[in-house]
Amino acid sequence: MTTLRKVMAALLIFGVIAGLAIPLEAAVKTQYVPDTDPEDSDGDGDPFNDHVLIHMAAGDGFANMADGKLQYIFGFTDVTGVPDGMIIMHAMVGADWPSPTIRLREGQKLYLNLTNVGMMVRPDLFDPHTIHWHGFPQAAPIFDGVPDASVSINMGSTLTYYYNVVEPGTFIWHCHVEATEHMQMGMLGQLYVEPRQNMLPDGTDLNGFTHHTGYKYAYNDGDGSTYYDVDYPIQIESFDPAFHDASLTVQPLPFAMMDDKYPMLNGRGYPDTTKPYPLMNTASDEGWPDRESQKIDALIEAVQGQKVLLRISSLSTTENFTLTVAGIPMRVVGKGARLLRGPNGEDLSYMTNSVTLGGGEAKDVILDTTDVPVGTYVLYSTNLNALSNNTEDFGGMMTEIVISAP
Amino acid sequence: MKRSRIQRKEVLTLAVAVVLGVTWTAQAMIPAVSGPVFNLTAREGYIQTPDGGSYYMWGYANGAGIMQYPGPTLEVQQGDIVEVNLRSELEVPVSIVFPGQVGVTATGGQAGLLTREAPANNGGVVQYTFEATHAGTYLYHSGTNAELQVEMGLVGALIVRPQGVPAGEKWAYNHADSAYDHEYLFLFTELDPVIHEQAQLGLWDQIDFTQYWPVNWFINGRCAPDVMLPAHYPLLPTQPYNCMPRMHPGDRLLMRCIGAGRDLHPFHTHGNNFLQIARDGRLLSSDPTLGANLAMSDFTLLTAPGETADAIFTWTGEKLGWDIYGHAPEDPLEPGEYAPDHGKPFPVNLPDKKDLTFGATYSGSPFLGAMGTLPPGEGGFNIYGGYFYMWHSHNEKEMVNNDIFPGGLMTMCIVEPPGTPIDMMMP
Repeated sequence: MTTLRKVMAALLIFGVIAGLAIPLEAAVKTQYVPDTDPEDSDGDGDPFNDHVLIHMAAGDGFANMADGKLQYIFGFTDVTGVPDGMIIMHAMVGADWPSPTIRLREGQKLYLNLTNVGMMVRPDLFDPHTIHWHGFPQAAPIFDGVPDASVSINMGSTLTYYYNVVEPGTFIWHCHVEATEHMQMGMLGQLYVEPRQNMLPDGTDLNGFTHHTGYKYAYNDGDGSTYYDVDYPIQIESFDPAFHDASLTVQPLPFAMMDDKYPMLNGRGYPDTTKPYPLMNTASDEGWPDRESQKIDALIEAVQGQKVLLRISSLSTTENFTLTVAGIPMRVVGKGARLLRGPNGEDLSYMTNSVTLGGGEAKDVILDTTDVPVGTYVLYSTNLNALSNNTEDFGGMMTEIVISAP
Repeated sequence: MKRSRIQRKEVLTLAVAVVLGVTWTAQAMIPAVSGPVFNLTAREGYIQTPDGGSYYMWGYANGAGIMQYPGPTLEVQQGDIVEVNLRSELEVPVSIVFPGQVGVTATGGQAGLLTREAPANNGGVVQYTFEATHAGTYLYHSGTNAELQVEMGLVGALIVRPQGVPAGEKWAYNHADSAYDHEYLFLFTELDPVIHEQAQLGLWDQIDFTQYWPVNWFINGRCAPDVMLPAHYPLLPTQPYNCMPRMHPGDRLLMRCIGAGRDLHPFHTHGNNFLQIARDGRLLSSDPTLGANLAMSDFTLLTAPGETADAIFTWTGEKLGWDIYGHAPEDPLEPGEYAPDHGKPFPVNLPDKKDLTFGATYSGSPFLGAMGTLPPGEGGFNIYGGYFYMWHSHNEKEMVNNDIFPGGLMTMCIVEPPGTPIDMMMP
């Protein structure tokens, strides 16, 4: 896009802010309280590092599908550390797809700042945004992100969410404003919390399992049963190109006729899922600067003998999908950010060849590669029509698991 | 103006619905017809959807009443010999099947494919008899030409209340693990208007289920926001049931969920996980003495067609790290309040009001039981200062009323401040 057009777009948003007689810095305002209490709530040995600052910017952007098609998207991008006065310029038309993954540890306290940088490609829109931490236990509406029940943040301003992270597991986060539209347009992300058990002293006995520093678990299992070596968040999403194109070209949005044609894992269709590097979009086709909007891939790599934790979630707005791994047995150890265990310690984990997820579900799956021959395996959807990138008939919801020799 | 997509009329309707739903009927009991003998008649009628739709339906009517969608919720006691007498005033025969019930015998009427049927045009009565041996949440629906008749609305819920419940308590099954304070029905269906328009015009040969494309989604026969109006609301005579779950912090809310359509719906409860204690009318249990020891906690319940699920939802607001009532440290504790957070200040500064867009059910204050100032025209529809949580299908396409957002398979669960009246009977 021409410099003139970009400057005019920036002036538009600055003008709106200035018209309200509020300095830009006052509306974009990061809030964070450093940890001064002597309690080491996350258990890592340092009592003054339990507070976490994350700053997300919400706006629009572009991403290319695996068949090359450029899609207009809404999304979030990480602007932690960017000075307040530069956030809008930095993040405009810069949404990631999918949104950045949020990684936390049990016991931390999160100050999650959300700045709405506006939709420069659609200057007629002034949608507010929110963040919904899907599955946060005992949530209060003010930080739950449902616009009808609380508040959402307008363009040019910042809302700060606060979470006392007490529950480990695999969660989801997304915008909940005009949920059908904003979620179809891509404001979707992954979020997980590592359990306090990871922080136990070296040599701790867990009912016969010996913990060592650096060992990781999916939950506070108390017996090492959810131990893993490497973890990979895998999120199911899908796009309807007609919906995204209608948004780009200022047409009525087809809610009733929404029909997803691009099934994806971590924002990519195969073979892009297996490319272990960020992908540059071709936003210049629409007159905007190219950006690396797809920063997350879905390639899974492990050494033979390792346990791989797949943190699987789904944010498809239209369909339910089933995933399988051909050649590696799957054990589901957690569901809905809870360990699969009964109130009397009953082991509710189960072996399976398939996991089915509707939108808003999350399941933790451990792959044990102990007896698995070295080689490349495939994680794919058994909804076989989803193995496509629109009319390109080989692609879609599929990625590779590469098991290397020890 | 982007705001107008959530049309002002929709916002007002939502807000009015919530106020009426909260004050008028607010029953903690599920509206139902008590057995064990039932007389049902299949009749035609029309239902309304919030997008202005009016659709031709078939439904079970209770006795001489008008058709309703869904059919009457049948309530019996465990051990009852249930007798359902069915007539059809439609031009087609109709029947009822009872998934999960054993030993259902059918007499009278005429022979049918899955079971005996009530002949068309009030040509006779068919009687179904069975013993309700197990407590729980069940579905009933037509077994005649089911792909059409279920779509047309011939579905309903059956609740079997357990024996041996201690006085003063409410259980869903034969164990204290199923104890609850409030119960609500969540019967999920969907609708393709083309099918209903063709049925209304008698174009039976043109009805093509391979082209099925639902654009309306329902809880208990109503789309959002109508779902939040009171039960037995005069302007929705053929849609007598609502879904307006309400509770206090610490209460146990029983969700009786039924997949009564042909699509799966992932139902997500904002606010907290629920504990699924039963599926298809059976407690998730490895031994009757151990109660629901196979129960699973989750934040999204994927209901499949024909499946029922029971879950207990609780909320206390514990461990948020700030006082949800906005107390000063010297203020007394609310009942059930999480003491370690008492008096802790709100952790952030909220932006100035002009930087925020407000929800219709926001009280103006982030604290439970409190109100705050709002710009003119905003809020005012949270009369007790409760916490509202959207409970909805997480296939967000289903939160739409025929191309208009918001709507569809969505409602709000309200956690009201302690002491708020909930168990009020209808005037």
